[in-house]
Amino acid sequence: MFLRFGEKRLDKNMKILVVDDFSTMRRIVRNLLVELGFSNPLIQEADDGNAALTMLKANPFDMVVTDWNMPNMTGIELLQAIRAEPKLKSLPVLMVTAENNREQIIAAAQAGVNGYIVKPFTAVTLKEKLDKIFERLAASGASA
Amino acid sequence: MTATMTAAVNEGLPPEVRDLLNSADGAAFEQALDAMVRQREHHLFRALGVLARDLHGAVCRLGSDLANEGVPESMTDARNYLAEVLDMSSKAAHRSLDFVDRMRPEAEALSANAAAVLDFSRSETDPATALARQTQVFASACAEGLNDMVLVQSWQDLAGQRVKKVVSFIESVESSLLELVRLTGALAGREAPVEVAKVSSQDEVDRLLSEFGF
Repeated sequence: MFLRFGEKRLDKNMKILVVDDFSTMRRIVRNLLVELGFSNPLIQEADDGNAALTMLKANPFDMVVTDWNMPNMTGIELLQAIRAEPKLKSLPVLMVTAENNREQIIAAAQAGVNGYIVKPFTAVTLKEKLDKIFERLAASGASA
Repeated sequence: MTATMTAAVNEGLPPEVRDLLNSADGAAFEQALDAMVRQREHHLFRALGVLARDLHGAVCRLGSDLANEGVPESMTDARNYLAEVLDMSSKAAHRSLDFVDRMRPEAEALSANAAAVLDFSRSETDPATALARQTQVFASACAEGLNDMVLVQSWQDLAGQRVKKVVSFIESVESSLLELVRLTGALAGREAPVEVAKVSSQDEVDRLLSEFGF
């Protein structure tokens, strides 16, 4: 498990789960990821935290991009559930949300988020955050 | 407290309160104090009850005014309209994204065709070469514009989140109002009816209000 964590690199063939209750936003994030070179068929979607968690437990994914405000299970609850699950706890999670108040950003950081993007954002911002996440993961893997 | 201070405080009090304070009968003092507090509370709860009743009346009048003008009859209709706004804005955003999906390969093909023309080009002064170069500039501007168009659609999500907040605000106003009526009735000494949360129709609301004497 730990080795796998260290091995994580920004690979264009990674399996990504996009979680958002708005179908428009899921499509936009997918579109941007494809524009950045990720493989369209490897991107999957879920419309809330519950659905996402079920998918994550059933199939291996390499990264989660999630919204915060969703019915049933919010993004922060999903993040906490991921970190609490031994099989999933080292999965990189990028939060893409309209919530930009201090408390929420701190809560996400404390729950172990890997990156945080405030909507609306550009493809350049998305690329920067993804690069940073995988740089940091590679560095922590190398030092471990 | 010193004797002088006590005297000073006593000076500022109404005579009946001063008499009570100076009375040696502890039980009578307690009783009188309770009666005063109860009287005050009663006035306060009556006032709150009337306020809730007026507020409810105002909401009802607003509802009928809107109905007469041919706009939403009730809060339920208002919520449905907001849901329709969400749905329509989502459809518009998806149509725009469909357009981007259709045009992106066209721009890429145009750029590739121009590159193929340039491969065969012998001279920079050839009009076909100049056209091919312009075509490439145009195709790349199109691709950039299409990317911007995708990003701009994320405003639909942001606008939709605001609409959802308004919907939950309307719901909380409705339930707070009913809760206020229930609370003021209960505090005024009347039995609180059970299952208030399930009150939905106008008749039920009016019945609930009348149970509390409003």
